[in-house]
Amino acid sequence: MTELVKIILFGTLVALFVSVNALFLVWMERKVSARIQLRRGPLHVGWEGLLQTVADAVKLVSKELTLPKEGDKFLYLLAPALVFAPLLAAFLVLPLGPGLVIRDLNVGFLFVTSLTNITFIGIFIAGWSSNNKYALLGSMRAVAQNISYEIPLLLSTMGVVLIAGTLKMSGLVAAQEKLWFAALQPAAFLIFLCASLAEANRAPFDIPEAESELVAGFHTEYSGMRFALFFLGEYTAVFISSAIATTLFLGGWRGPLLPGPVWFLLKTYAVVFVVMWIRWTFPRLRSDQLMNFAWKVLIPLGIANVFLTAVVLVFLK
Amino acid sequence: MPLAETQEFLEKDPKKFGVGSEAVVSPDRIAEVARDYRKQNYFLECLTAVDFAECFEVVYHFNRWGASERTCVKILVPKDVNQAPSLASIYKSADWFEREIYDMFGIIFAGHPDLKRILLPESAEIFPLLKSFKGEPKGADVVQSLKLIEEDARGFGARLQGAGLEEAPTGDYYLNLGPQHPSTHGVLRVLLHLDGERVLSGEPIIGYSHRHHEKMMEIQNYLACWPNFGRMDYVGAMSYNFGYALLVEKAMGIRPSPRVEHIRVLTTELNRITSHLLWMGTFLLDLGAFTPFFYCFDDREQILDILEMATGERLTYDYFRFGGLDRDVPPELVPATKAFIPGFKKRLKDYHGLVTKNVIFEKRTRGLGVLTKDQALSYGVTGPALRACGVRADLRRDEPYSIYPALDFDIPTAKDGDVYSRYLVRMKEIEESLKIVSQILDKIPAGEIKTKTPKNVPRGEYYSAVEAARGVFSLYLVSDGSLNPYRLKARTPSFSNLSAIVEMLPGCLVSDVVAVLGSLDIVLPEIDR
Repeated sequence: MTELVKIILFGTLVALFVSVNALFLVWMERKVSARIQLRRGPLHVGWEGLLQTVADAVKLVSKELTLPKEGDKFLYLLAPALVFAPLLAAFLVLPLGPGLVIRDLNVGFLFVTSLTNITFIGIFIAGWSSNNKYALLGSMRAVAQNISYEIPLLLSTMGVVLIAGTLKMSGLVAAQEKLWFAALQPAAFLIFLCASLAEANRAPFDIPEAESELVAGFHTEYSGMRFALFFLGEYTAVFISSAIATTLFLGGWRGPLLPGPVWFLLKTYAVVFVVMWIRWTFPRLRSDQLMNFAWKVLIPLGIANVFLTAVVLVFLK
Repeated sequence: MPLAETQEFLEKDPKKFGVGSEAVVSPDRIAEVARDYRKQNYFLECLTAVDFAECFEVVYHFNRWGASERTCVKILVPKDVNQAPSLASIYKSADWFEREIYDMFGIIFAGHPDLKRILLPESAEIFPLLKSFKGEPKGADVVQSLKLIEEDARGFGARLQGAGLEEAPTGDYYLNLGPQHPSTHGVLRVLLHLDGERVLSGEPIIGYSHRHHEKMMEIQNYLACWPNFGRMDYVGAMSYNFGYALLVEKAMGIRPSPRVEHIRVLTTELNRITSHLLWMGTFLLDLGAFTPFFYCFDDREQILDILEMATGERLTYDYFRFGGLDRDVPPELVPATKAFIPGFKKRLKDYHGLVTKNVIFEKRTRGLGVLTKDQALSYGVTGPALRACGVRADLRRDEPYSIYPALDFDIPTAKDGDVYSRYLVRMKEIEESLKIVSQILDKIPAGEIKTKTPKNVPRGEYYSAVEAARGVFSLYLVSDGSLNPYRLKARTPSFSNLSAIVEMLPGCLVSDVVAVLGSLDIVLPEIDR
């Protein structure tokens, strides 16, 4: 019985956090991009336009939900949920502070990466069921991109896992008590950043939705709340990959003076800021160049890093 | 001069008529003449028709890169025959020109590979440039054409080209890029034949913003034509003003005062910078870089403020007049421009640092959309797209007009003919234009800004060409001495430049299509007119 209460309580909390977080991130993205682009961003709704995204959300909810004429209705409706639900589940293992983790699984890190992969099935289904060529092209690109970048992503974390000797999220944080893994494994950290940008479909790797080429990519045909779910999903994915970067490479919740959750959020939002900074600075890569980058640069580099780490560890023993 | 010895060619004064020689040949000889010109590296600058009471006259203007040597060749097509030989196999640019003539006059070009409507909907049954077409708002012909356009819109999906082919199990398919698409810079439709993401072929389909300026100008007097030019190429409208002013001044035999000439060049060059800035912003937007767009627009706004001081307008300029200007520039314009230049120079450095040397940008644009010199000649490509192929051709030097001969500026070229070269050429052109502007600022002489003009344009045929931001903009005027132009053909640069995209698309990926399209710097209202 208490288990059920716990599930409901945490479920509600996570859902609440995700929506507030997404609203905040959208506002942050607008402000960051505005600063980079000689603009001021939203100003009028709430303090510094903080409530602008709330107003936009209300607008989105009130929009008509359209269905493509020749689309596959069942899959079309399933896709947004399939994209969004796994991202919610990923919060299960994020360590916010000492002991502040919903389920400290033994395979915590693997759990997150396997969950985030499900979203790509959702994206492919979205593109396929829309019966739109732009959407299909977008989802094809998404799948190709995901498969390619999954490998460097996991390779980059293997070095960290070798040093820490555990896949448990809390164990990974504990192993960084003296020194952050970003300092021990700088190459791995960079590979991880690149690969997680690609995993979250963020510029310069945003080819699945490349608006100047594919109109809106895989979610071209979605409107209203269904579109909002994709949108929410994107920002949640950015948050999760930044949170993992924090946990794996930046010492997690560890930090002086302030309590753990504050440090965790501060570090995560700092990583998110870097992600936004990159997005508003670079042009987009082409899909074949993206693949080349993964297979010819990131993966060899990742393998070399794992090999080096292993050799050094053997010698230290 | 080719074929001059056949004595068909009449020497003419280029200063007065815009062409060096002129000839009327019989229709069955035109292909031979064109082949001769092609061999001597002439390109087909303009091809149009005029509807006279007795017969149609099809007019070919050939010109050369480097110092202009324009010749005009005409053929007469009797109305009962209504047929002329096609030059599409000799000059690729003739393909679209001939389709336009067919569209507007109904003249059939024998041997044309695909003679169909180009600016009007395919189901149209009218030929608007015929003198018999009155175009009265409530006339039967207009009602009919409106009905057809409506039907066309409704049946759009059903009559898509290649619609039936999609069922075939070959793996290739058709994709309509446009008419509503974020990166077509207006309403352009590119029909792409794709294999996965690889482009097998692409065909641009134009005419969606066709307003028929040429017919409009036939039914209004010369002065009333001014606003039409600001609305063809709304991004670089000042060059279009320049072209029309030169044309009519040539015909009337008047020359504006030095003050007018200086202000004209100043505003035109400032306008050229705004045009290139807008191009740069949108082009990088196509490549997925958002931020440069805002920087370019920030700079552009400042120039627009300066131009607004002079003209009172920010976009569709209507500033020049025959032998003068609409109004004088205010005294604060010169200091404002001087204050703008240093900040802008600093910005240009930022652009080069962030974009020109950006690895992703270079990787995406180098070696893409290559246009060879020979293709450029065949398609009549002009402007920065031609200079990117390594051809030093710029009418400001080749056919000097106004005060350009006295100014110190270079004609930037690049050698690869790819998207990256086009970017480099335009970036250098911004600097050259800035050089011209700073030269003029201090020496604008005092003087009148209006000249006494004769009432009518004398009878005759006149041709004028200027270097607009996108290439050669030229006008061909047939005047019967009355208050309105009898025929005024506008040769717009993007029309020919866009037709060359057929050569650049095969082998590209879908992502490259928008990059190639963006690199040509097309303005659709100028193409569709």
